[in-house]
Order: sequence, then structure tokens, then C-alpha cells
Amino acid sequence: MKLISLSWSHRAKVSAAREALASVPVERVLAELKGRGFEEAAVLSTCNRFELYAAGQANQELAAAKLISALEDLAGASLGEQAEVREDAGAVSHLFAVSSGLDSLVVGETEILGQVKTGYEAAKNAGMTGKRLNVLFQRALFVGKKVRTETSLAIGSSSVPSVAVQLAETIFGRLDGKSALILGAGAMAELAAKHLASRGVSKLVVANRTWERAYQLAARYQGEAVRWEDFPAELEKADVVIASTGAPTAVLTRELVAGAVRRRGGRSLFLIDIAMPRDIEEAVHDIDGVYLYRLEDLEAIVAKNMASRAEAVAAARRVVDAKAAEFCAWAGSLSTGAERSLKHSERA
Amino acid sequence: MAQSLLSWGALSLYTTACLVAVGYLFNKSERARLTMLALLGAGLVLHLFAYAARIAAFWAFPENRWYLPVNSFFGALSYMALALAAAFFFIEARKKLGILGAFILPFVAGSLGLAVLKADSSLAPLAPELRSYWLNLHPMILMTAYAAFANAFGVCLALLIQERQIKSRKPSELCYRLPSLDELDSLNGRIIAITLPVLLLGLAMGAVWAHQIWGKPWTWDPKETMALITAAFYAEFLWLRYVSGQRGRTPVYVSMAGFACMLATFFGAELSSGRHGFLGGK
Repeated sequence: MKLISLSWSHRAKVSAAREALASVPVERVLAELKGRGFEEAAVLSTCNRFELYAAGQANQELAAAKLISALEDLAGASLGEQAEVREDAGAVSHLFAVSSGLDSLVVGETEILGQVKTGYEAAKNAGMTGKRLNVLFQRALFVGKKVRTETSLAIGSSSVPSVAVQLAETIFGRLDGKSALILGAGAMAELAAKHLASRGVSKLVVANRTWERAYQLAARYQGEAVRWEDFPAELEKADVVIASTGAPTAVLTRELVAGAVRRRGGRSLFLIDIAMPRDIEEAVHDIDGVYLYRLEDLEAIVAKNMASRAEAVAAARRVVDAKAAEFCAWAGSLSTGAERSLKHSERA
Repeated sequence: MAQSLLSWGALSLYTTACLVAVGYLFNKSERARLTMLALLGAGLVLHLFAYAARIAAFWAFPENRWYLPVNSFFGALSYMALALAAAFFFIEARKKLGILGAFILPFVAGSLGLAVLKADSSLAPLAPELRSYWLNLHPMILMTAYAAFANAFGVCLALLIQERQIKSRKPSELCYRLPSLDELDSLNGRIIAITLPVLLLGLAMGAVWAHQIWGKPWTWDPKETMALITAAFYAEFLWLRYVSGQRGRTPVYVSMAGFACMLATFFGAELSSGRHGFLGGK
């Protein structure tokens, strides 16, 4: 078989071409290519990348230039210079690397797998997939899942807020239905609120000495603002507390937290102190069922994750390469007539 | 002979499943998880056949007909291993909690191993006072409860490791692979909440049986006393966990103490001179 992939991704220094492409609906691209006689094509369009995969029979002429000119007509911009063109084996392993999160801006992120699936389904609905692209994309989804279950690429977050969210998940499991209390309304507090909201925390309460700022932050994340004097009452309801106020002394004392814990019916409490000077007394960590992490603890975890990241990337690479070779052997066998079988039994 | 071979086969499969489970704990591989399940499943099948063969041999004595061979250490240990392996296979493994295999399967292999290696597997006609339908109820229900408590104990071990990891502020990769604290905590709580009434039911049935044959429901023999203490620890756990709302390590330690008492209850039969001497072979 013949396979070509074109991509415009976050790796490019100039994003003009990607931006022009992002505004073209995927369905229009597929319809245009169909009109121009292409049989199999799929588009992957996300905020960080635009990719086009086209496949045909081995003896068929499939020119990247034709594909690019079709896209240029749609986007109304010059695209050729910034395009990364890959063919055959190179295109296969690129797609597998993309679906595994290896090519993502945040390496190992999991969203891309769903985006690959969406792109594949759009192509299928447009009648633009045949045996080649069907198998290619199903394999890509399989490899993406395999990398995530078998390597530690997806675990080990690389930023302080995402490490905090991940720790919250080791305590509470899923975060939907949980509530968070944010003390302070600065940039750090906002970043934390954003991450928690993205993981489904169902209730966000913001308390700040300046009521207006608490109100504004809460409004941006469909949360609730409370007066500063009222936050101790919220302490017994919250599961995660993020403190980042500019207070000169600790605002959460052991006494205050111990009192709240007694009224919590035994639920664990996860406290994150990202303020300097500290907002939460260290002695709070000694209370049974209370877990206090400070900024430097989170930073140490990030550093450790980054160090082991290289190893996970290598392991993920090995999976991608092995599966790409397997796919290419299958694709090669198509033209000889003796079709080999792909191992579907080990589907994750 | 066939029975002994089958038991040995089951034991070796359980032991291998155990080793794979420990490997899976430290090495993220879907293949390891499936291998563990396949070994465990095959072990369960062999074990069921072994148990069926044992029942057939037991029933070769006409007076034993329709009674289950749980009147010896071998029969009891083998039954508990079977119940625990089945519980893990059908509950945890299906709920994507296969990672807990490393904490639970050692009890399966240990229990059957003790039976195969140490216990006397010979069969004999039942003592006349044991020939009662209560034999199929009282010990069976208690041993099922013991297997469930062993399952909860495995969950407790994982829970303590996870708690320690999070408290340490330096969580290792294991921390992200184990189920969350809340999940482990609620699993432990639920198993004990369901099992304690079963334990009490088994004890009550024992009392009724004793009343029928000896006229006295309760004589405070060591096994009876230990069983009561076991129940008290688990009741204390439930009270701490659900009524007083304590969380963290303390309730977990209490439930683990309950498990220690349960072991003493089961193996303590050696000490008991009277009513529960059957297990020790007296």
C-alpha cells in the first residue's frame, strides 16, 4: 500500500499554516479530497496540530503536492513550506507516536487518543476509509491504549498543578463529586482551580480577603465565593484545600484543621500549600487522614517525574516501533496477495 | 491419588499466579495481569476437581454420605483457599483491582500450601455427634467468613502501603498504580460490614447445634472465646469507621487485629480440648 501523511504541528516555528488549516472544517477537507479522486483519507485537527493521512494501492501515484494544493485551495494560504511530509513506514510510526502522546506538546497527555478517534470516525462517516485506513487507525488507537497501560508515559505529570491533581486522585479516586476550597485568589490559585475544574471537581469555593477578587475567580469557574471570615466553616465540607494567600502567618492552624476533621465524618483531607510564607502549619500533616503537601514537595515530584520521563519515552518508543513494523509487514503482504494476520487477540 | 495430584496442581498454579501478581505490582504490563488471571482460573478449576474428588472419597464411607469433608485441617484449609481464590477471581479481578493480587493471592497459596504440605489428608468416618446437617452449615459459613476476612486483610495491607506513600510526600510509581485510598478504604469497610453478620450467624448456628447435642449452647472453650474476640474487633472497626467516623490508620489496625484473632481462633483449635477438637484430629 501507499501511505502519505502531511502534518503541521506545534513543532513548526511559524504557526500561520496551522492556524489557516484549523479554520477549515474537517468535513470540507474530506469532501474536497473525495471530489478530487482520493479514495482514502483522514484528518486529525486539534489545537496543536493538523494532519492529513491519505492511502492508496501500492502502484498508485499519490503525490503530496496534490494533497497540499487541495488544502491550499481550502485554507487560502500557502502551506507547502511548513508541511512535514512522511511516507509509508515513516507515516505509520508517526501516527502511532501521535496517538501514544509521544508527539504531543505535553508528552504523554491522553486527550490526543480521543482526538485521533474523532478524526477517524469523521473520515469513516464521510466514506473516506477503506481497508487500509481502517486497519491503520484501529491499530493507532490500539497502540495508544497499549502505551498508556503498559508504560508510565501517562503517569508522572510534569507541572505542579497537575501533580497536585494526580495526588488528589490517589487519595479520592475520581474527583467528580468532590469539592475544593481555594484560599487566596492569585495566579497560582487560579491555575489550581483550572486544573481541578478540568478533572471534574463538582464544587469550587473561593475565599479571599478581598471579596471582589474571590467573586471574580469563582465566577470564572462556576464556583462559589465566600467571605474570608466564613472559610473555617467550609473546611469541614471541602476535600481538597489549596492555600495561596499572601498572609504573613499561617491561616490554617493545627487546632482549626483538627476541629474540622472531627466534624468531617472520617473523610480524608488533602491540603496543598503553595504560599510563601506558609499558609498552613506543618503540624497539620500529623493528623490522621490529613495530607499536607507544600510547594517544594510538589516540585520535587515534578523533578523526579521529569527524570524518569526519558525512560518511559524510550519504553513507549519501543512499543510504537514494534507495532509500526508489524503493521508495515501486514501492509506489504496486501500487495503480494498473501495477507498476513495482525494480532488482534492482545487488544487492550 | 488423583485428588492429591489435583491439589498439588492447583497449589503450583496458585503459587505461580502469586509470583506473577507480585511482578505485576512493580511492572506495568497488561500481559502479566492476564497471565495472573489465567493461572488463577486454571488453579480454581483444578482445585474444584480436587475438592470434588475429596468429597467422593469421603462419601465412600456410607455414614459420611451428604456431609462435607470440613472436619479436618486439610479440608478446612483447602476450602478456605478455594473460597478466597474464587472471591478474588470474581470480585477484585473483574473490577480492575487485579493489582491487589499481590496482597491477596499469597493467602490462597499459603492456605492450600499448608493443607497440602502440613495437614493430614486421610479420611475417616465422622464421629457420631458430627453426623448432622449442621456440619454443612456451621463450619462452612464460618470458613467462608474467614476467607472474606483474609481478603479484607490483603486490602488493608495495600491500604497501609498507599497511606504511607501519600503521607511520606515522596510517592513512588506504586502509589499511582494502587487503587486510591478511598477505594481501598471503602472496599475494606464493605467486606467487613458484609462478613461480620455472616460470622455471627455461623457462631449462632454453632450455639444451636451445641445446645442440641450437649444441652449447652456456649461453654467458653478457647475456640469459642477467640471467635467472640474476633467478632468484637471487627465490630469495633465498624463502629470506628462508620459511627464515630474515624479514618486513616487506626481503624485499619483494629481490623488487622481482628484478622490476627481470627487466625488464633482457627489454629487455636489445637489448644481446645473439648468441643472443637475435631479439627486438630483429636
